[in-house]
Amino acid sequence: MANSANTNPVPKLYRSVMEDVLNDVREVFLDDGVDEQVLMELKTLWENKLMQSKAVDGFHSEEQYLIQVQQQQQQQQQQQQHHHHHHHQQAQPQQTVQQQSQTQQVLIPASQQAAPPQVIVPESKLLQHMNPSSMSAAATAATLALPAGVTPVQQIITNSGQILQVVRTASGAQYILQPQQSVVLQQQVIPQMQPGGVQAPVIQQVLAPIPGGIPPPTGVIIQPQQILFTGNKTQVIPTTVAAPTAAQAQITATGQQQPQQQPTQPQAPLVLQVDGAGDTSSEEDEDEEEDYDDEEEDDKEKDGGEDGQVEEEPLNSEDDVSDEEGQELFDTENVVVCQYDKIHRSKNKWKFHLKDGIMNLNGRDYVFSKAIGDAEW
Amino acid sequence: MAYQLYRNTTLGNSLQESLDELIQGSLNTYRFCDNVWTFVLNDVEFREVTELIKVDKVKIVACDGKNTGSNTAE
Repeated sequence: MANSANTNPVPKLYRSVMEDVLNDVREVFLDDGVDEQVLMELKTLWENKLMQSKAVDGFHSEEQYLIQVQQQQQQQQQQQQHHHHHHHQQAQPQQTVQQQSQTQQVLIPASQQAAPPQVIVPESKLLQHMNPSSMSAAATAATLALPAGVTPVQQIITNSGQILQVVRTASGAQYILQPQQSVVLQQQVIPQMQPGGVQAPVIQQVLAPIPGGIPPPTGVIIQPQQILFTGNKTQVIPTTVAAPTAAQAQITATGQQQPQQQPTQPQAPLVLQVDGAGDTSSEEDEDEEEDYDDEEEDDKEKDGGEDGQVEEEPLNSEDDVSDEEGQELFDTENVVVCQYDKIHRSKNKWKFHLKDGIMNLNGRDYVFSKAIGDAEW
Repeated sequence: MAYQLYRNTTLGNSLQESLDELIQGSLNTYRFCDNVWTFVLNDVEFREVTELIKVDKVKIVACDGKNTGSNTAE
């Protein structure tokens, strides 16, 4: 956990931009007779919004960051002293994380209330020794947020023996990249955040091998808006649907049955499964969302055509490259805002030379100082 | 000032890490109006040094970068 934020430039860049802006407006504020206190409030609100958007890895409030860095160092020192070399590679990060979660509960509650949806990322990361980049800072925060949920997550991952990669997306959705093996989606509801007493609906999906061997789509997003607790089983009612149709139906079926085992459906993932009833509301929402998206795209196509095309029914628009629900992006249209150095075209081959861009892809923010692209029209 | 130092680090990192980002995909639409390019690409693969991001559809809005101070808001 040493180099937590060195590998992702985005939070740093954003932080520097924020500082610049705040410093610049400080004078204006003072000239207008606005108190410095207001500036601090602005800064806090801005940071909280960034945290909430989850578009950036690393919550990045400077104070928290510094505190965490200090605590991490302290914890690591304590860990090395306390545990000799027991499971040197795996146990240490786990225990470090757990102890961090315990000690930092006191410090974090205020900030966590501002950003209720937290994500547990570190367990999978730490266990796999994968991808230290861009997740550790967020990982620590997430661990702190959900100390009780840490243990079950670890167990599941250990038992399945799968290598998982959990990525956060905007608006509280979690998005898990599979390995290429076929896996099953499991739901696990993590109990509310205890430190601040703030209840945050968080759902984490854990992938485990399917006996049936059906390959689900490469990524699944679930936006947990509501959670119903029914004993040990949980049932998700997403107000907005993000997951692929089949996968989600599988998820709801899973949630109703047992969170650990799921009977596989023989149908292909592309078909909307009606099984697992009881989630009528979510399916209705899903259908509505699908229609809405298709209609939107059709409208765009019509405007672009302007040839008096026959009005196509939304569902029959096969000419559209309509994005299915299960294609990793739901309501996030991926946007890149940047400047261009040179845009070049030869026949139908386009070349892009871009610079200084901010991208929002799949709900996450990226930046680049220079980008080169090729495309065919 | 700590902040000044911080800025240099950010710039350095962003230059190093995002220097050569390759975009590949198929162009769906292009528009050039008021010196602003707007593209819609499909099945795009953004390749960064550290990671690979694939999206089905992306809209790129680019302002003229030849003259400084031409930033786009949205």
